[in-house]
Amino acid sequence: MVRTLGWLSAAALALGLVMAFGVAPREVSQGNVQRIMYVHPPLAWVAYLAFGVVAAASIAYLVRRAPGADRLAHASAEVGVLFTGLAIATGSIWGKPTWGTWWTWDARLTSVAILFVMYLGYLLLRGTVEDRERAARYCAVLGIVAALDMPLVHFSVYWWRTLHQPPSLMKPGGFTGSAAILWPLLVNLAAFTVLYAYLVAKRVRLLRAEAEALA
Amino acid sequence: MPDNWGFVAAAYGLTALVLGLYWRRLVRREKELDHAGEARARTARDAATTVAERSRQPSRSGHPRSEPASRPPLP
Repeated sequence: MVRTLGWLSAAALALGLVMAFGVAPREVSQGNVQRIMYVHPPLAWVAYLAFGVVAAASIAYLVRRAPGADRLAHASAEVGVLFTGLAIATGSIWGKPTWGTWWTWDARLTSVAILFVMYLGYLLLRGTVEDRERAARYCAVLGIVAALDMPLVHFSVYWWRTLHQPPSLMKPGGFTGSAAILWPLLVNLAAFTVLYAYLVAKRVRLLRAEAEALA
Repeated sequence: MPDNWGFVAAAYGLTALVLGLYWRRLVRREKELDHAGEARARTARDAATTVAERSRQPSRSGHPRSEPASRPPLP
């Protein structure tokens, strides 16, 4: 199952690359640097997904005390931090040629940075509390509280005046651009989602094996 | 606007590098755990074999005891 997901994600990412560089046209106003769009929003989408899974698994853990839910939350948080870090970095790389700056403390960027730091704290908390049951309980609470920042991240571009553009896909009315841009974006969104599922499945299996080795 | 291919390469390259390193870390840790599990299983198997072999050996006599007459009297 995990191996199949791995091959599927490799194939989907390869197709995504072909779509981003071979099918998608050169954008008129930004030029080829706009091709960063086929990697940056998928990374941000997976970050949303990962932290949503952390919140859901954390609630499940607090209700049922099932170790499997805790392992899923832990794995998803780790992968989510990785994808959020990459979304911030690729956004910064895109921002330099288009906005003229690597970073600005506007509402979107700041709320994402806060989200990143909160989940980084989540992973540090896991490492510092020795009693595993207690660490799982504390992290479940933090995982739910940190997820409250996600609506703030998403709607920050509407609620405040920001340098960051509003969402292209997840907005009322849907995508309004051309199909030549939409399809490569959708393929990459799907590819990164499969990659997320693969990495989380692999990490969950590792966490289970580590727990068995310690028992 | 210029194409800025360097920025495109940096964004895709960084993503590929970080995700690749993370994947390799997971694979390496998985292998380590597999090896540790195999070693634990081998040790347990060896220990079980040793006990089984010992139980098949004829029992040895206990410590030789001196004859009652040769024992020194109790104080």
